Amino acid sequence: MTDIIKTENLTKYFGKVRAVSDLSIKVRKGEIYGFLGLNGAGKTTTIRLLLGIIRPSSGVSFIFGKQVKPGINDIWNKTGYLVEIPYSYPDLTVRENLEIIRRLRSINEKDVVDSIITKLKLGEHSDKLVKNLSQGNAQRLGLAKAFIHNPELLILDEPANGLDPAGIVEIRELLHDLAYNKGVTIFISSHILDEISKFASKIGIIHEGRLIQEIDTEKLGNLFEKRLLLNSINNKSAIALLIKNNYSVKFNEDGILEIKSESACKNPEDVATLLVNAGLPPTLLKVEEEDLESYFLRTISMKGFNI
Amino acid sequence: MRNMLAAIWAEYMKIRKSRIFWIMLLFFIFIPFMMALLMFVQKYPELSSKLGMIGTKATLLRLGEANWPNYFGLLFQTSAAIGLIGFGFITSWVFGREYADYTIKDILALPVSRSYIVIAKFILVIVWCLLLSFILFAFGIIFGRVIDLSDWSIELVFRSGYKYLLITLLTVSLCTPVAFFASFGRGYLLPIGFVILTLIIANFTGLVGLGPYFPWAIPGIYSVPSDIQLGTISILILFLTCILGLIGTIIWWRHADHK
Repeated sequence: MTDIIKTENLTKYFGKVRAVSDLSIKVRKGEIYGFLGLNGAGKTTTIRLLLGIIRPSSGVSFIFGKQVKPGINDIWNKTGYLVEIPYSYPDLTVRENLEIIRRLRSINEKDVVDSIITKLKLGEHSDKLVKNLSQGNAQRLGLAKAFIHNPELLILDEPANGLDPAGIVEIRELLHDLAYNKGVTIFISSHILDEISKFASKIGIIHEGRLIQEIDTEKLGNLFEKRLLLNSINNKSAIALLIKNNYSVKFNEDGILEIKSESACKNPEDVATLLVNAGLPPTLLKVEEEDLESYFLRTISMKGFNI
Repeated sequence: MRNMLAAIWAEYMKIRKSRIFWIMLLFFIFIPFMMALLMFVQKYPELSSKLGMIGTKATLLRLGEANWPNYFGLLFQTSAAIGLIGFGFITSWVFGREYADYTIKDILALPVSRSYIVIAKFILVIVWCLLLSFILFAFGIIFGRVIDLSDWSIELVFRSGYKYLLITLLTVSLCTPVAFFASFGRGYLLPIGFVILTLIIANFTGLVGLGPYFPWAIPGIYSVPSDIQLGTISILILFLTCILGLIGTIIWWRHADHK
């Protein structure tokens, strides 16, 4: 498959501070690449580097096979983007802001403005001045500017910022549709990890400017830790029984018994049978899987970084 | 070419819809009103004492006889001084607002060359400044006619209009370094500080006789009847300053880190 985005040892210093370090990533056509990191990890700097808004201290990045550098403008014909909080011209209306982008992108069809307004549900705000928009609608306008030309690549930095829960779901579905039905490649950064895990096909974790892990989301399930949570009518006796049967059990922070062994998580019925036969029937028995957020924090800690 | 026209249209929209456009328009109508008021006081000196400060100012300026040649002279000087401030302010706004409003990032990764965007901004700055200059001159004539100054002639209007246009062009050409400082300083503060500094230095260089060699003093020198002659070297200095500002701004937009 073609690499739509490719970076080679991309590094950026701000003075003596290394914001991005030797970042090498590849994003293939049709992929949704979730770029995860804590605040200040280097996500936005990477996105600015990809868009040529800032210049790398060393290394290169390619979009559609062309190196990102001054004067190479045709790659932006096929790229839509949103960097951090989207700002628009405050004294212009939503429609006028979109009209500016339509013209700057040399889009002939005038009705694209209307259709993107409808698509992003900005209809009732289309003639409002941008300075009077709510944060959520300003975010929608930012997304409308990114989507207006039906790009083949979307580079989005925290696109769900400021959106209400319904808006987040709506944008997720829109991105999902673009990627899986229209073949749009999406590079998306976010700190709402759970949101990303729902639709990204690949995840990259960046911390302190370094890419510390890349995972296909299909394989993510295998990496997540599982634990069996249980309570019995007599927890003290249950602990003694489980330890006697070689289960490593302890109370977790919520006062619930927790077993992390793979066999217990795979066959919780064995544990249940053991407890019932000993006259200690469980009052709670459930296998809980780690979410992306916990995995992310665990990964960072495991790599020896401070959180 | 199409990209260039799109960039010009975008800049036009940003300016036309802004409040600053109308504020500057009113300001440039107010200035000739003030000048005409000074002339009116000069014409009717008995009002000077009644009007306090305005009368004193009119006297201090040594406006001479309240006639059209002296009135145009006053408009020339005003154009040079107010032009430096006003046009500098406009340029600061056109370039600095992209940083102040955080919209800069939206116009950097577009199929339109950044150089085109910079040139489109400069075109709009020139047009806007010329429009304001025209308004100042036109309203100057209207107010001058209202107060009925003597020695009016169409020939004088054309001759003065030509000189006024040259002063305007000299002043407008000094906008390019302001644009550079607006881009370099990522906002309004640095370019406005720069404009104020150039005004101070222009006054100083004028006092010590180095005015013809300091770009920001040159329009002022040209605007007043003076013993100091502006030669080719002055025009060359002004031209080089303009070109350096233009190239510097384009290079900055193309190559600098935009945060």
